[in-house]
Amino acid sequence: MKEWFKKGEHWIWFSASTVSISVVLVFGLLGMIAWKGLIHFWPHAVYHIEVQHQGGQQEVIVGELHDTKMKQVEDKTAPHGSREVPQYLFKVGNRDVYGIDFRWVSSEDIVGDVERLEKDVVVIERYEYGNVYGHVESVKVNGQVESNPYKALEVLAEQVEKGVALHNQIHQLEKIEIGAINYKIEGLRLEEKRLRAHNDFDAQAEARLAAEGAELQKEFDTLHQEVQVLYKQAQSMGEVTLRIAGERTLNVPVNKIVSFWQPNNMTTAESIGFFLSNIGKFLRDEPREANTEGGVFPAIIGTVTMVMLMAIFVTPMGVIAAIYMSEYAKEGVLLRMVRISINNLAGVPSIVFGIFGLGFFVYILGSSIDELFYSYALPSPTFGTPGLLWASLTMALLTLPVVIVSTQEGLSRVPRALREGGLALGATKSETIMRIVLPMTMPAIMTGLILAIARAAGEVAPLMLVGVVKLAPELPLDMVAPFVHLDRKFMHLGFHIYDVGFQSPNVEASQPLVYATSLLLVLIILGLNLGAITIRNRLREKYKSLDH
Amino acid sequence: MSEQNISVALDRDIRGLSLADEKVAIEVKDWNLYYGSKQALKSINMVVPENRVTAFIGPSGCGKSTLLRCFNRMNDLIDIVNVEGCMTLHGDDMYAKEMNVASLRRRVGMVFQKPNPFPKSIYENVAYGLRLQGINDKAVLDETVEWALKGAGLWDEVKDRLNENALGMSGGQQQRLCIARAIAIKPEVLLLDEPTSALDPISTLAIEELIFELKKEFTILIVTHNMQQAARVSDYTAFMYMGELIEYTDTDTLFTNPQMKRTEDYITGRYG
Repeated sequence: MKEWFKKGEHWIWFSASTVSISVVLVFGLLGMIAWKGLIHFWPHAVYHIEVQHQGGQQEVIVGELHDTKMKQVEDKTAPHGSREVPQYLFKVGNRDVYGIDFRWVSSEDIVGDVERLEKDVVVIERYEYGNVYGHVESVKVNGQVESNPYKALEVLAEQVEKGVALHNQIHQLEKIEIGAINYKIEGLRLEEKRLRAHNDFDAQAEARLAAEGAELQKEFDTLHQEVQVLYKQAQSMGEVTLRIAGERTLNVPVNKIVSFWQPNNMTTAESIGFFLSNIGKFLRDEPREANTEGGVFPAIIGTVTMVMLMAIFVTPMGVIAAIYMSEYAKEGVLLRMVRISINNLAGVPSIVFGIFGLGFFVYILGSSIDELFYSYALPSPTFGTPGLLWASLTMALLTLPVVIVSTQEGLSRVPRALREGGLALGATKSETIMRIVLPMTMPAIMTGLILAIARAAGEVAPLMLVGVVKLAPELPLDMVAPFVHLDRKFMHLGFHIYDVGFQSPNVEASQPLVYATSLLLVLIILGLNLGAITIRNRLREKYKSLDH
Repeated sequence: MSEQNISVALDRDIRGLSLADEKVAIEVKDWNLYYGSKQALKSINMVVPENRVTAFIGPSGCGKSTLLRCFNRMNDLIDIVNVEGCMTLHGDDMYAKEMNVASLRRRVGMVFQKPNPFPKSIYENVAYGLRLQGINDKAVLDETVEWALKGAGLWDEVKDRLNENALGMSGGQQQRLCIARAIAIKPEVLLLDEPTSALDPISTLAIEELIFELKKEFTILIVTHNMQQAARVSDYTAFMYMGELIEYTDTDTLFTNPQMKRTEDYITGRYG
């Protein structure tokens, strides 16, 4: 044993154990998020439970089992004076009938088996009011009633497919096309205001604007009529009658249905298909029901756009600052102070950057921009309000120290001999830096950018002050010029997690979404980083034989 | 150049070289250099003859590299260095206020102790100096790159892989590439700062042959630790000691009949 200590083996074991603890923690964290998040997309079995309440009344509950918890109950006969009673959380759906989606049931009240599958149960996902659990009794289309359950399901499948297509069509027209026209009409209104403000609003301009306005109005009317027709069609899609637990019936119009499935009748292959299509929907769809249902598409777009813009802002800023500090500035007290300040800037709490962003960018810079260039639109602010531009600039500021520090390290690693080689060929200092030093610093700059991206994509607190909202009416990125709308507010996955998890009226429903969104956020950061790491490795490969 | 030719070159007769008969490339007058308060070069006076190889020898720290770096103002990069005196290149004051350092360095090329090719292709390394001058015409570049690589005796080895990364070459090839890079911009003077000290004997021989060829077109100054090398390649040799130029004369005289006691001690290996 003494020998063992003498050799220093215990240090090896010690360090190895800390490494393994870290690895276990990282994988444990990822595993938990992945498991809890992904299980949300898997078709849950629907159980049939008979409950006998203490009061004597009986009840049937049909729903998905979402959670099990142990409750300590005092019991003198038990060995420790108490025993554990399992409590089950069931998602019973049918919110418009029952009022709540989720119910806790104690195992003591349950008569018979807990895990008894409800036969042939149908789950319907609706655009509003959540899921429906029940049995299809009949489907009514155009006055014709189909009451054979199997045939009814076939008819329903057909109708739902049409209904969803119609819904998408309406969405496309309303959100995208009418949205674009509204944007243009708003543009005309602002142009008129601007011309009036500059006293350029003459008869010619008035006629031109009126003509353009009339043109847009005509387009708008056509689209509006189209939408009205589609709405009428949607309303005549028929409705389905379901028998739900408690011997009640519930009528669901087909145009309110997102999809329906029979979880208890699915084969494994069907379950996998359902799982994948659910993931697809989560990524593609917009959130519904105060973000507790639907997808996170706008948040993905918002996060990625913000991070990309941040990278575009922070890279030149950081690199230029680093070049000045390590190539041009004279060593001295001042430079040392600047270095210390930059390093300390990395330790400033992010919310402070948010406050700075709000105070400086939004209120001072934004208002000045509005006064100078958009005064005609006042009092409604254009840039004098939180938005994408200010959020990405604030994030750029937050990640600036990282980029500066790693660029400086990269610059200091370029051998002096190479700089001299460049200078000896008659290059000026700036030519040497641009053509030789900077290309060789690229891997280090990329490293800084990777760290910056990881930090910016995960930061929430400052964004809440400078542009992130719970639900953005428009995407910051679309097909209407100028494509990236710097003045718009946007959604962000990190804030989405906070909002869904802690601000949601329906805690149980949103909990799996929190995990799923967290997993997505981790994966997106990973994806952005992998992209940057690939570029860095290519660059490193190019310069690798340099490290003599 | 074949083995035999070089031995002929090395066994050349004493041709009675004399500084007085040479055309002057660089003239140095009362040259002092200070690192902060420490004087590193003391009152140097010399003329460097055109189209000849002039070697600087001396023990470590004697100032020979520092002096070499004065010829293309490389010492400007060090903040604490101060110089006084006069240095002219073909009559132009190299340290005059109106002298552009970048254009001076185009006239005075330099090759360093350790090969320092840029992490670019072989072609781009040689073309670098030309591109700096704004020459981007492919035909001109191609021609000059070929000329420079031939001049550096590297063309046959690399003509098929001009687009490969220069860092994949051997040390000797890299050093010859650096020479090609330096001569591609056709300088008047070529400074070689211990060009072979990081190389193996065969690469060293190749570089020495090259120096012999290059002096037809360029004035060459070489700093070397290796006295045999100075004796082999140079026409004139300067012996420096503690920042002073002790003796400067044609190579044969310096090695066979040194006038100064210190020179004799150094070349006979009593210190160094």
